[in-house]
Amino acid sequence: MYKILLCWRYLKTRYLALACIISVMLGVATLIVVNSVMNGFSKKLQTLLHNVVSDVAIEAHSPNGFYDPLDKIATIRKDPYLNERIEAMAVTLDSFAMLQFYHRGSQETVTRPVRVMGIEMKSRSAVGGFQNYLQLQSQDAEPTFVVPPDIRARFAAVDKEWHDFHHRQFEQEIQRLRRLEEQKKKGDLVAPLPQRLDFEAGISPEMREFFSKLRKDRPAPPLTPPPAPVPFKPREPIGAIVGHLVANFKTRDEDNKVTDRAAMRHGDGIRLTTITIGQNMTPVYDDFVAIDFFKSGMSEYDANCIFIPLDQLQRLREMDNRATNILVKLKNQSDADDIVKAMAILFKGEPLTVNTWQEKQGPLLRAIEIEKNILNILLFMIVGVAGFGILAIFSMIVSEKTRDIGILKALGASSAGVMQIFLSYGLLLGIVGSLFGTILGVTITLNINAIELAIAAVTGQRIFDGSVYYFTEIPTELQPMAIVYMNLGAVGIAVVFSIIPALRAAMLHPVQALRYD
Amino acid sequence: MHGTTPLLTAINLRKTYVKYANRIEVLRGLDIDVAEGEFLSVIGNSGSGKSTMLHLLGTLDTPDDGCIHLEGRRIDNLPARDRDALRNRTFGFIFQFYHLLPEMNVLENVLAPAMITHSVWSWWRNKKELRKHAAEMLDKVGLGHRLTHQPRELSGGEMQRAAIARALINRPRVLLADEPTGNLDLANGQHIMKLLRDLNQFENLTIVMVTHNLDLVHETDRMVRIVDGRMDGQELSQPPVLAAAV
Repeated sequence: MYKILLCWRYLKTRYLALACIISVMLGVATLIVVNSVMNGFSKKLQTLLHNVVSDVAIEAHSPNGFYDPLDKIATIRKDPYLNERIEAMAVTLDSFAMLQFYHRGSQETVTRPVRVMGIEMKSRSAVGGFQNYLQLQSQDAEPTFVVPPDIRARFAAVDKEWHDFHHRQFEQEIQRLRRLEEQKKKGDLVAPLPQRLDFEAGISPEMREFFSKLRKDRPAPPLTPPPAPVPFKPREPIGAIVGHLVANFKTRDEDNKVTDRAAMRHGDGIRLTTITIGQNMTPVYDDFVAIDFFKSGMSEYDANCIFIPLDQLQRLREMDNRATNILVKLKNQSDADDIVKAMAILFKGEPLTVNTWQEKQGPLLRAIEIEKNILNILLFMIVGVAGFGILAIFSMIVSEKTRDIGILKALGASSAGVMQIFLSYGLLLGIVGSLFGTILGVTITLNINAIELAIAAVTGQRIFDGSVYYFTEIPTELQPMAIVYMNLGAVGIAVVFSIIPALRAAMLHPVQALRYD
Repeated sequence: MHGTTPLLTAINLRKTYVKYANRIEVLRGLDIDVAEGEFLSVIGNSGSGKSTMLHLLGTLDTPDDGCIHLEGRRIDNLPARDRDALRNRTFGFIFQFYHLLPEMNVLENVLAPAMITHSVWSWWRNKKELRKHAAEMLDKVGLGHRLTHQPRELSGGEMQRAAIARALINRPRVLLADEPTGNLDLANGQHIMKLLRDLNQFENLTIVMVTHNLDLVHETDRMVRIVDGRMDGQELSQPPVLAAAV
């Protein structure tokens, strides 16, 4: 009983112990906040990754893809086990290209490499993680690559203008040729050399006469009419969905705030240049119209991807009936591993790889996990530092309490009992520190965005700029079990670092302790 | 009056303190008998070994040689656990500087030995009775009105009385007092002595009091003097090593 009483009294009366509590509290709070933010980022990233890459993906070994993707889908559907567990599948063709467009920021035509994904809109939307990231068609019943009529009319008007211009040029050329024909008939057709050359200004009259004669002696050129202009037929513009960060660039405004500025707008024309497959590698290009923008939050996709109709990319690259991926959406995600095994057996021997989305993003997810673990170890060292604080302060308290230890032993307290006083004291400090640390950490985590805004208001500097990090708010996720482990760890450290001073107290000789000054 | 059977016997006690190259031979074959119910005073000059003898008798320390018996049972070589129990239940200690625990109030200080005796569960079951008993003890020493005061709020005499109450809470067989009035003025010293005398007379408590105040010894049953680590008049016994050599 005396152990509990003394322990409690030491906690109440020794203000040095407050330093131990604060250090444990700050350590635990830091651990909780950083861990929650890391978990939040990790979860958000995993959600984004999962949404973008589908539950299971069948990928070709070669960038040239595989033949007859629809036949593969039919094969999968024939398997009753797979068929009843798969909700939707989509064929995609993944390729590279050079993008050319008029950059509204720099006001010049720019070229940059992009990743072009040929998709069939309906099936791709069915697989999920696509339509909800479209900035203009996310609420539509069915997203489409169809170019809106107003944009089509604008393109038609431009085409008509160009056509008319060429037609006028053709008419003018025909008129000129007619005039030349008449001159030829009259015999005074002259060579279409300039009437006066620049250097003739400073030459002698004899030389001028020579050049004049030369022009007259020049044989008349053949009068071939230009090719007749093709009849006007407006082009059918093809729609493309452009990654948000391809179509926008980040800049700072007057308030030093990072904002998106459009380099490309809805309805702008773009040109994609790629090559055909095979050994000849013929450069091919086609023009498209930006009809929508893709903003998933994953910069890997938003800053590189352009989605165009699958058949257009197949036609452009001469990859008819070829695809590089089949994306699979499952009815139940927990079946993913079994589905992957079953598909691997189904396509055994074919140049295809079947992966779950976690396996596909394995290196990134593992890197995040490793980063989180290392950070946890480093942060736990903060609690370790608090442990050394406990060691130092407890050693001081033991010195201060030497005579009291002697009194207790004189009254019959055992060495183990004295040791338990200081171990319990360490335990109590650890528990109180961890408890307050947990309250502080959870409070900060739950209000981290408000705190961030308050700090920004005071300092004038945003700690977390949503436009930079791509999240509007700092994502957090509190994991109760992780908090329990952190608390146990902190309490454990407090107890472990109390052992040495507690042992010292226990080993004090009662007579020497009573005589201690 | 006390009986004739020795309650506490020490034979040929030797104790030497060694620090670095210094050897201080404090007790050099000391013998002492304490009869049950006796009020024995031990006097001697500073450094003569009075307190060391008291610590050895109370199992606070162990002798280098010799033995101590309590009612015929040897107690100096008991395991630490048993010696702790003896200090807690059989011996009561009073010190010159009171040695109250500053974290506890007067009542809690008095209850401290009882808290050591009882486990948490046993304490909660007997808490009421124990507190009542402690309050009675404090009342007996004249501190019934000071139960919740902190030790720093008491005078020297009051602190010593609280220490006596603490020493008596577990109803010990022997009270070992190390210069209990050494730090008190005359009036307080006399008050404490009267208290001890009454405890001895009316409750038959065996008391061994170490003092160098010769005025106090007249109030005790018997007085012994320690000179150079042994009883005055006692023949110097040979150290065991030398005895073995002879």
